[in-house]
Amino acid sequence: MIKILNISGRVATALLFLWITAVVAFGAAVDPDRLTRQANDLMGQGDLAGAVEVLKQIPAPASGGEGEAFVRSRLQIARLHFSLGEMDKALAAAREVLVLYPDNSEAKNFVASVEQARQPRYVTFLKDCLRFLPALAKGAVMTLLLVLCTIVISPIGGLLIALGRISTIRVISVACWFVIWFFRGTPLLLQLFFIYYGLPSLGITLAPLTAAVIGLGVNYSAYLGEIIRGGIQSIEHGQMEAAKALGMTYGQAMRRVIIPQTYKRLMPPIGNEFIALIKDTALVSTIAMVELMRAADQLFNTYFNVTALILAAIVYLVFTTVFTFIFEKIEYRAGIYEHR
Amino acid sequence: MNTDRQPLIQLEGIIKRYKSLTAVNGVNLAVYPGEKLVIIGPSGSGKSTLLRSMNFLEEIDAGVIRFEGREAGYVHRHGKLHLDRQQVVCPLRAEIGMVFQHFHLFPHMTVLGNVMEGPLTVQKKPAAEARAIALDMLAKVGLSDKRDVYPATLSGGQKQRVAIARALAMKPKLMLFDEPTSALDPELVGEVFDTIHALADEGMTMVIVTHHMGFARELADRVIFMDGGVFVAEGAPGEFFDEQMGNERIRTFLSRII
Repeated sequence: MIKILNISGRVATALLFLWITAVVAFGAAVDPDRLTRQANDLMGQGDLAGAVEVLKQIPAPASGGEGEAFVRSRLQIARLHFSLGEMDKALAAAREVLVLYPDNSEAKNFVASVEQARQPRYVTFLKDCLRFLPALAKGAVMTLLLVLCTIVISPIGGLLIALGRISTIRVISVACWFVIWFFRGTPLLLQLFFIYYGLPSLGITLAPLTAAVIGLGVNYSAYLGEIIRGGIQSIEHGQMEAAKALGMTYGQAMRRVIIPQTYKRLMPPIGNEFIALIKDTALVSTIAMVELMRAADQLFNTYFNVTALILAAIVYLVFTTVFTFIFEKIEYRAGIYEHR
Repeated sequence: MNTDRQPLIQLEGIIKRYKSLTAVNGVNLAVYPGEKLVIIGPSGSGKSTLLRSMNFLEEIDAGVIRFEGREAGYVHRHGKLHLDRQQVVCPLRAEIGMVFQHFHLFPHMTVLGNVMEGPLTVQKKPAAEARAIALDMLAKVGLSDKRDVYPATLSGGQKQRVAIARALAMKPKLMLFDEPTSALDPELVGEVFDTIHALADEGMTMVIVTHHMGFARELADRVIFMDGGVFVAEGAPGEFFDEQMGNERIRTFLSRII
């Protein structure tokens, strides 16, 4: 049984060989369709080099003749070489088409993209960077604007909330507690949605930038409020007594004695908040604001190119690094009376 | 005692309670201009509370405080005593200087800044005038050379002298000292004591709460021994230390102190 199979195997091999020889000798020269099918079969079997050899047998058309099969075969050869990593051969195959048909757009695109792929990666990356930079820069400016607005608004709001929280007037203290409770207890994303999409139903329609600044400003005021309150209450009680003993009012004591002493203590936690803020501005991309994150996302979706995201990450890192340094400087300055 | 003059500050039936504890229990006291009064007594006897009530840092529960003959600092509301608005209380405090056990200098201001702060912020004097007053006061306590440093670099004795200068810059009519030497190393007590002594010689009216018997012996016109929120004994220092040794509580206290 085994012997019979063995013999029939050999016969089959011999027949296949004969068939290929016959095809090579007679059939292919006259029938591009069959050669194409044969090449497709070989590709199906994973024999890409074999497929190339088969496709090569499709001849160039006589001058003025119909060359569609030739063009298709050479482009296929080019793609196969490309898959095999043989860039020179791939280019050569595509250029065979361009010699006869210089306007063939498929061949031109292929040559262009292969040549681009043959460039070192960093060249491609730098070219992409240049291409994306204008859009990202616009987004970055918007992000910076949002950050700066919030940095101006939130310490003022935070101070008011902090003073309200420690007020002996119960209504004010409870109201401030409520503000903190609400804005720390719900997601910033939800607050932004509410301000931008929810308020119009109450008859208040806000521009995206206004809505974003209000959302970030109020949210960060609530956080800073608790930090500032902690800072004020960490100042030794004797300071308030000494100020009062001089005859200062509560307001004078706060302004001249207590609050200036909190600066140094507040800088690290507030710096932390502002670093978080830089990244939280990405959330406003959800309310029709084109800032850095949104700009990067749009580029990524248009070109399906990760470079846009990498660039955005770098810009965020630059922002956070610069802010970190600035806050370290301010912290040192604020505590200068402890260094001397 | 010179009773035909009006007392600078007069306390009548002062009561101060903390929850369950009565710190000051019905004290009457009159301090006359130029008088140096020293209050001694064990800790928890209510002497600091009494002193602090004199410049309204401690809100009393009952009693009357008269400053220069006028009832001062409190209003009656719903049958209870309440500290008056700060527009009333702050100007009163501005006339009364206070020196604390732990100095409480403002650490974010230079020495000069500390001393200028009262005239500048409270009395709203022009900066140049406030500065001139402050330099005067620093000279008085012997710390002119320290005017531009921050308090953190000073010794305890120097800090307390700056604190005295800060209070004096307001040109107060009455100086209150709340254990001014208790937080100091023993070798630094002398300089602060000398500063207070010099002030006494200028005729400043002062009330001093202290454990430092030197104050009582050398400075005081009158010594009051306080315990359990009331005055136990009172007298001129000479007779006080001689006569009151018969009093069991005072003898025990003095034997522990001296």
